Amino acid sequence: MWKKLYLWLDERTGIETLIRKLNDEPIRGGARWAYVFGSTLLGLLAVQTFTGIFLTLYYAPTSDHAHSSVTYIQKAVAGGSILRGLHYYGASAILILVALHFIQTYLYGAYKGKRELQWNSGLVMFFLLLGFVFTGYLLPWTQEAYFGTKVGTSVLSEIPGIGPPLRRIILGGNETTTLTLSRFFTFHVWGLAVLFIFFIIFHLALFRRRGPAGPYHRHDDSRIESFYPRQAFRDAVVFLAVFVLLVILAYKIPAELGPQADPTSDYLARPPWYFLPLFELLKYFSGKLTLIPAVVLPGLILLVLVVLPFWDKKEERHPAYRPVAVLFLLLGIFGFSGLLGLSKYQDWSNRDFRAKIEKQRQDEKVFLAASFQPEEIGRTIAIPVPTLPAAPNVRDPILKIYFANCANCHGRDATGGQLGPSLIRLASTHHLSRDFLVRYIGGHSRDTSADMMPRFTQLSLEQRQDLAQWLMRLKSPEQLKEHEKTTSTSKPSAPPAKHRTVQKPEVEVTPAPTEPPPAFRQTCAFCHGNDAAGNIGPSLVGITDKPDRTPADLLKILEDSRSYGLKDPMPAGFPKLTDEEKKAIVDWLSKLK
Amino acid sequence: MSESSSSLNSSERRSFLGKLTGMIAAAIAAFLGVVAGRFTLSPAFQKPDEEGSWQIVGPVEEIPEHVPTKQSIVVSQPAGWGRFNSQQLLWVVRDDSNLKVFSATCPHLGCTVNVAASGFVCPCHGSAWDANGQRVGGPALRGLDTLNTRIEDGILKVEYQHFKQGIATKEVVS
Repeated sequence: MWKKLYLWLDERTGIETLIRKLNDEPIRGGARWAYVFGSTLLGLLAVQTFTGIFLTLYYAPTSDHAHSSVTYIQKAVAGGSILRGLHYYGASAILILVALHFIQTYLYGAYKGKRELQWNSGLVMFFLLLGFVFTGYLLPWTQEAYFGTKVGTSVLSEIPGIGPPLRRIILGGNETTTLTLSRFFTFHVWGLAVLFIFFIIFHLALFRRRGPAGPYHRHDDSRIESFYPRQAFRDAVVFLAVFVLLVILAYKIPAELGPQADPTSDYLARPPWYFLPLFELLKYFSGKLTLIPAVVLPGLILLVLVVLPFWDKKEERHPAYRPVAVLFLLLGIFGFSGLLGLSKYQDWSNRDFRAKIEKQRQDEKVFLAASFQPEEIGRTIAIPVPTLPAAPNVRDPILKIYFANCANCHGRDATGGQLGPSLIRLASTHHLSRDFLVRYIGGHSRDTSADMMPRFTQLSLEQRQDLAQWLMRLKSPEQLKEHEKTTSTSKPSAPPAKHRTVQKPEVEVTPAPTEPPPAFRQTCAFCHGNDAAGNIGPSLVGITDKPDRTPADLLKILEDSRSYGLKDPMPAGFPKLTDEEKKAIVDWLSKLK
Repeated sequence: MSESSSSLNSSERRSFLGKLTGMIAAAIAAFLGVVAGRFTLSPAFQKPDEEGSWQIVGPVEEIPEHVPTKQSIVVSQPAGWGRFNSQQLLWVVRDDSNLKVFSATCPHLGCTVNVAASGFVCPCHGSAWDANGQRVGGPALRGLDTLNTRIEDGILKVEYQHFKQGIATKEVVS
């Protein structure tokens, strides 16, 4: 059955030839444990891609949700801590294996023999990997991630000339913000990944073209073995061992996850282990000299590595006969581990740092152990349905505008109400210009949502300018109260209880001076209430005091309610009213205070 | 090992190592597949939080009698890492012993129903209901949607639900 299916598939795809081609790669000198690193790396990269893709299923790359979403993955989703753990430890494992792969290739002189491009594509991939770990580090948006990235990118500004603009390009601005997070996410999962896949294919294609370099001696030249099965088996065993180690780590020591980034805190940032030696080296240089560890030294090392296969063309590959090469490798290894150790030791021996790092680690442990709490989005406490008092009768045109439009939310004395903040000294406290206020009141350049101030487009530009001018000078609630005392009429009495809807229990209305005209009863009362105190439609009491609601305006609105740009226009049935009826309604309304 | 020593042995060994390699690959793939599968399906089969769908309206005593009262509650939609809250409106009608809570969402097309002199009316298309929520006119095909209520220690709670709009029967949108 399987055989048949396989044959069917092979006839159409030639899969058999492909597998043979992959498996029958000849290895001079036979299979060896020393050759396992490349395949293991490939396997780990596959695991990293796999786990990474699944992690994006829940991850939200914005600074306000990234941390919650990673915490959710880590603490609440089934298998989340394992997938994240594999991805987290996998990154370190890849860097370690890259180092081993590099050391093996270097010691065996495997870069020789027309393998310059293969070697250099490996170097490019190493830098892409550094890009991966650097961008991935920020994604959980923890304290560690945020401050680590801040320190990491600040090194860039030390590079003269291109440094500062480069830093801004990488950060997407001058600071580490949500834009930085979006960019890092995109680099991490798209930009770098696409480049990396291209280079893997390039690297492997060149490898197959030139073939494996084989051992550095010629003793076993008689033996030529294909990749499958003995080398494949060795690769699989080592990969399995590394994979099992990662799984155990992910289960036993969950990947680190501290509290959410707080840009205002004094977090003591320490880069991850693979960047620690560079970080340590930076400590010994200041000012312009930081260029030495940040740019000159890495640049020199890189330059040597790039030209190495072009320059070192001697046939000899045995490390015992290449003392300078071996010496440089040892220097590199000791330098890296020495600086790593020194950095750890310095933090340990400095009492303040040690205490701070210990405390930060403790905070992280506490956070990780706490149960998952979903992030609250939107308000958690309902705003009570507002109860609106009627506007007092004032003469000052600005106060008229204020009471008709602003007082219900910002309070009658402008000290703030249920829905709006205090306006006293608003402009001076927040350094708002008059022009800003004019624009803000009109609602230009501003989104409206349920939580925000509506757009007051019914106010004319002059009215808004006057209101803004008045707001700029508003220093005390007395500025409103005095007017109210001197100009307000006696308190209106409450309407009859049967008309009081609980929706607006505090609407206080003087009874209409006369009975409403029959046309109002028939046409308007259904929405605006029998006494025009408002029902489905707004209250019409004192309507003629509002800007753009003079009796002439009202007549126009009755003709065509859309003419004044009402947000919720009245039904379009009013032209049925006769002109006398309209006039009667408007006359009655204008007396209604 | 010379080529001629045993070709049978060598090919046996070959197939044995090959099988082992395949098994290692299969085991790793299976492990990752199971973990990722559970990871992906995790929220799909989560039990809904029964208690979480009950929202507090307020003390029953404070709700005025005989007049419909508009109340606002916060309804949360838990979704993974967040609880997405939104404010919803209700009409509470309380008579001597009777307590009814209507969703303020019009069963026609979802506008917010308002109170009128003799019951409720929808400002969008003029559907009207009497004080008991029975349909009296307009395009809505059914009465106002009542919500399940319960009173615990004098606190009124409602189970806020969304209902399908534009049909004659009250069906919960799941």
